[in-house]
Amino acid sequence: MLGMSRSMGMAGVAALSLLAAAAWPPAAVHAKDVTLEFVVWNYSLDTIQDNVRQFEAENPGIKVNVTDYTWPDYHDSVVLRFRGNTTTDVIYGGQDWLPAWAAAGYLYPLDEIAADAIESYKKDLAGFTINDMTYDGHLYGLPYYADTISFIYNQRILKDAAIEVPTSWEEVADAARKLKANGMERPIVYEFNQELPNFYDAFVAQAYGRGGDLFDEEGEAIFNRPDNAAFQQLSWLRDVIAEGLVAFENHESTIIPAMNSGKHAFTIVYNYVLAAMNNKADQPLAGEFALARMPGEAQSTLGFTKFYAITSSAAENRERREAAWKFVDFMAGPPYAVAKRWAIEKGLGFGQLPLLEDPEVIEAWSGWVDMPTLQAQIETARGGTWKEWTAVWAASFRPLMAQAMIGEATVEEVMSQGAERWDALRAQMAR
Amino acid sequence: MWRSARFPVLWVGAPLLLVTLFTVVPIGHTLWTSLHSAHFLFPDELSWSGLDNYRKVIAGPFFLTTLKNSLLFTAVTAPVVVGLGIATALLLQRRFTGRAVLRSVVLLPWVLPGAITAVLWIWVFNPSWGMLNTWLRDLGLITSSIPWLSDPSLAFASVAVAHIWSQVPFSVVLIMAALSTIDPALFEAARIDGANAWQRFRFVVWPAIKAMVVVLLVYNALTAFTTYDVVYAMTGGGPGTATSLLSFQIWRESFSMYDFGAGSAVAFLVVAMAGLMIVAITRALPSDLFAATEDEAP
Amino acid sequence: MTGRLADRLIVNLAALLVLAFAAGPILLAAFGSVVPDRILFDRDRSVLEGGMTLDNYRYIFTGRLPAAYMAEGANRAMISDAARQVPRSLWNSAQISTSVLALNLLLGAPAAFAFARFAFPRKKPAFLFLILSPLVPAVALVTPIYLLVDGLDLLGTKLAVVLVHTARSLPFTILILSVFFRKLPEELFEAAVIDGCSRLQSFLRVALPLALPAVCATGLFAFMLSYTEFLFSMVLSGDARSRPLSVVMAALARNTDVSWSLLNSAIFIAVLPTLLLVVLVWRYVVEGLLAGAVKG
Repeated sequence: MLGMSRSMGMAGVAALSLLAAAAWPPAAVHAKDVTLEFVVWNYSLDTIQDNVRQFEAENPGIKVNVTDYTWPDYHDSVVLRFRGNTTTDVIYGGQDWLPAWAAAGYLYPLDEIAADAIESYKKDLAGFTINDMTYDGHLYGLPYYADTISFIYNQRILKDAAIEVPTSWEEVADAARKLKANGMERPIVYEFNQELPNFYDAFVAQAYGRGGDLFDEEGEAIFNRPDNAAFQQLSWLRDVIAEGLVAFENHESTIIPAMNSGKHAFTIVYNYVLAAMNNKADQPLAGEFALARMPGEAQSTLGFTKFYAITSSAAENRERREAAWKFVDFMAGPPYAVAKRWAIEKGLGFGQLPLLEDPEVIEAWSGWVDMPTLQAQIETARGGTWKEWTAVWAASFRPLMAQAMIGEATVEEVMSQGAERWDALRAQMAR
Repeated sequence: MWRSARFPVLWVGAPLLLVTLFTVVPIGHTLWTSLHSAHFLFPDELSWSGLDNYRKVIAGPFFLTTLKNSLLFTAVTAPVVVGLGIATALLLQRRFTGRAVLRSVVLLPWVLPGAITAVLWIWVFNPSWGMLNTWLRDLGLITSSIPWLSDPSLAFASVAVAHIWSQVPFSVVLIMAALSTIDPALFEAARIDGANAWQRFRFVVWPAIKAMVVVLLVYNALTAFTTYDVVYAMTGGGPGTATSLLSFQIWRESFSMYDFGAGSAVAFLVVAMAGLMIVAITRALPSDLFAATEDEAP
Repeated sequence: MTGRLADRLIVNLAALLVLAFAAGPILLAAFGSVVPDRILFDRDRSVLEGGMTLDNYRYIFTGRLPAAYMAEGANRAMISDAARQVPRSLWNSAQISTSVLALNLLLGAPAAFAFARFAFPRKKPAFLFLILSPLVPAVALVTPIYLLVDGLDLLGTKLAVVLVHTARSLPFTILILSVFFRKLPEELFEAAVIDGCSRLQSFLRVALPLALPAVCATGLFAFMLSYTEFLFSMVLSGDARSRPLSVVMAALARNTDVSWSLLNSAIFIAVLPTLLLVVLVWRYVVEGLLAGAVKG
C-alpha cells in the first residue's frame, strides 16, 4: 500500500512536471532539473544558504535543498537518514565518522566520480586533510574546513601575574596554582561534555602536545601503558581537577563568555573559537586572548577536517552524481572562494593551502590570532587514528575518561577498560 | 451508564487507531529489533539473536549506573513536583495582593521548550558567569564560587531543580481544576466545626484532589523516568556519570554505538520498568480511578 | 488578630517565593536580551553606563546587524541567521500545536465520555491500552516512527508532527477527561434519558458543557505538550519552512555562532506570544468557567 501511494505520488509529480514543461517555452527547459538534498549542521546557516544561492545562480537546472541539524544532533540525524533511506545527496562529513560510514557503504568515493579533478586538487591540500578524507585508498571528500585544537590563554592575566606562556603541562599546572594563590578560583576552563566528539578530540590533541599517541603504527592501543602520553595526560587532568584548578563548561559556546568573564586564564578548544572570543563586536575582553602552541615536548596538536561528501544513493544515478559533484566542486574546489569566505568571516581553518598566502585571509586572521604561532602549530599538527570502529569506541571511551577525570574511577582502570574495548571492537570488525 | 453489546467504534475508534499506529506498531518494531543483531555498520547482516542484546546491555558498563540515576531522579522530582503543585494551587486559592498576576506568572515555565529551560538554568547555575553565584557573592553569603554544574551531586541537584521548575505549572493547573469542584459550603462547614488547617486539607481538600494527585504522580514519574532533554542540554550526562539517565542510554546505544539492537533492548527494559513503577504507584495510593473501570466492565 | 496577620504575612511571603522561582529565570532572559554580551560579562562595567539596546530584536525581525558588528575589528562570528527563523517557527508551532489541540478535543472528549459512562465489551483492555501507551518513552519510538513516517511519505511535513504529537497526547486527554466525566452526577444523565436524549445528545448537551473547564484545560495541556516537544519535531519536521520553535531554539542554544544576548532575545520573543495566549485562555476561559462550574 505504501508503495502504491508512493508511485501515485510519482505519477502526480510527473504530471505536474509535464504541465510545467508545457507552460514554459522549450528553450528555458533544462534536460532535467535536479534537486540535491544537502544535509549540514547549522553553523552559520545564513552563510551556507548564501553559498548555495550563488551555486544555484551559476548552475541553472540544479536546485539545492538544505536541511540542517544542530551539531550535537547532527551525527545521529544523519545515521537516522541513512537507516531510513531518506534522500540525501551531499552531507558534511567528519574525519572520525568517515571510516564507518564508508565501510558500511553509505558514502561514495569522489575519485571515482571525478578522478582527474581530484588528482589535480590534491596537491593544494594539507597532508593531514587528505589523510582525514581518505578511506581504503579512496578520497571521499573535499574540505569544508580544516582546523586544529588550540591552547588559548589570556595575555593580560599572564602579564599581570608575571607568568611566562607555559610550554609544558607542568608549567600550565604551576601557572594555574600561582594564579589560584593570587585569588583566581579556577584558572583553567575545560570543555567537559562526554557526549560530544570535541571531548575526545581535545584529549588527543593534548597527548599529541606531549609527543605521544594513543595507538602505535599498527593501530594497537598503547594508551593503557603508564608511560604513554595519553595515560600521563589523563593523570594530569585528574590531578589539576582534584586541586580545584579547573572549571567545566558544557559546550564551546559557553567557553566564550566564561573566558570573557576574566575569571580564567587557560582553555583548550577548537581554534575558530578564539576568533569568537576575540570578537570586538560582542566580547568584553576581546583582544586579550592568544594562541600558544599546545604544551608538551612536541608542541604538536590534533588537526582535523570536516568535508563535503557524496552519498552512495546519490552516486547511483548519473545526473544526481554529476550535479552533486558540481556542487561539491563549487563549495570546495578552486578557486576556493567558499573556503576563503568561511576563513575571513568566521575564522574557520582550511585545508586548501593556497589560502595561507591569501592577503585577505592573512589580514582578517591577524585581527584575532598571531599568524606565525598559528602557522607553526599547523605545521606540527598531526591527524588522528581513524578506524571503522573509532567513533563507536570513542563514544564509550569518553564517559570513561570523564569518570577518571573527576575521580570516579582510576586512570589505570579506565585506560585498561578502554584498551580492552578497542581490542574487542577491532576483533569484531575484522570478522 | 449506557450499556451496549457492541464496541463503540465511532466514539473510541480514532484514538485507538492513532495510538496503535504511532505507539504499538513502532514498539513492535523496537521489540523485533531488540531480538536481532542490528548494527549500523553491517546493514546487510540482520540475524536473530534472542536475548543476547538484553544480556549485553545489562552487563554493560553504564546500565546499572544510569538506572540508579534515573530511579533517584524520578523518586526525587515526581513527589516534589506534585507537592509544589498542590502547595501553589492552595496558595493561589487564597486572597492576597497580586494574586491575579501570580496566577499567570506560575504558568511561565510551561510555555518553554526544554532547550530554553536548559539555557535559562545554565545561566543561573554556571559557576563562572552564572547569576546564582554572582548574587550569593554580592549578598556576602559565599566567598568562592560554588561549582553547581561541575560537582557530581550538585550537578544532579541542579538538573533536578530545572526539571522540577518546568513541570510544576502543569500540576498547578490540574490541581486547581480539581479544587474548583469543592463546594465552598464545605469549607464553611468545616470552619464552623472548628477544623484546623490540616483537618480542612485532610477531610475537605484531599478527597477532592486525590484522584488527580495519583494521575499527576503517575504522569510525573513517567516524565522523569523517560526525560533527558533538559538534563542532556545542561550537563551532557556528566560530570562523569552523575547525571546520565537511562532513557539517554537508549539513544547512546543506538546512535553513538551504532547498535540498534542493544538500543532497542534498553528501550524495552525502560518500558517494562516504567510499567512496574506505575503499578507500584497506583497500588500504594489507591484511588477510584482504575477501580471504577473495573467495576463497570460487563 | 495577630494570628491573622502572621497568616497573611506567610501567604504573601510564599507568593513572593513562588513568583521569584517561576519568573526569575525568564526575567533574566529579558534582561540579557537588551544588554550586549560585552557589558553583560564585564565585571567592571555596569549596565547603566553601557546602556541597553534593542539591536538584537531589530536584527531578528529585520536582519539589520547590531551596530557593534559594524565597528572596526569586528567579525560576524557570533551572529547567526538562525535567530531570524524564530518568528517563522513561532507561526509553524502555532499551526502544529493548535491542530494538536483541536484533534485532541475532537477525538479525545467523545472517547473519554464513552469510557466514563458507557458499559461495553472489551472496555477495560481498550482503556488500559490507551492510558498505558505513554509508558513507552519517546526515545524508544524515534527510529521506528521515523521509518514509518518516511514510508508514508510524510517526512518534513507539519502533518507528520501533528499526528505523532496527537497520538502521544491523546491518552492523557482521555484519562483526565474521563475522570471529570465520571464525577458528573448520574442523576443528570438519568434525567437526560427520561427527556429522550440519545447518548450523543447527552454528551453534547449535558456532559460537555459541565466539563468545559476540564476540556479547556486538557486542550491547553495537549497544546503545550506539542509546543514544547523536541525529539519528534526535530527528526520529522525537516527544514525551516515547517520547523517548529522547539527545534529552532535548540539550534540557537547549542550553536557557537550565537551571542548570549541574541539567544536571550530569541528566547524572549519565543516566550511572549505563547505566554500571552496561555494567560488569556487561562484567565478568561478556564477561570471564568471554574467560577460558574456546577459543584458536584
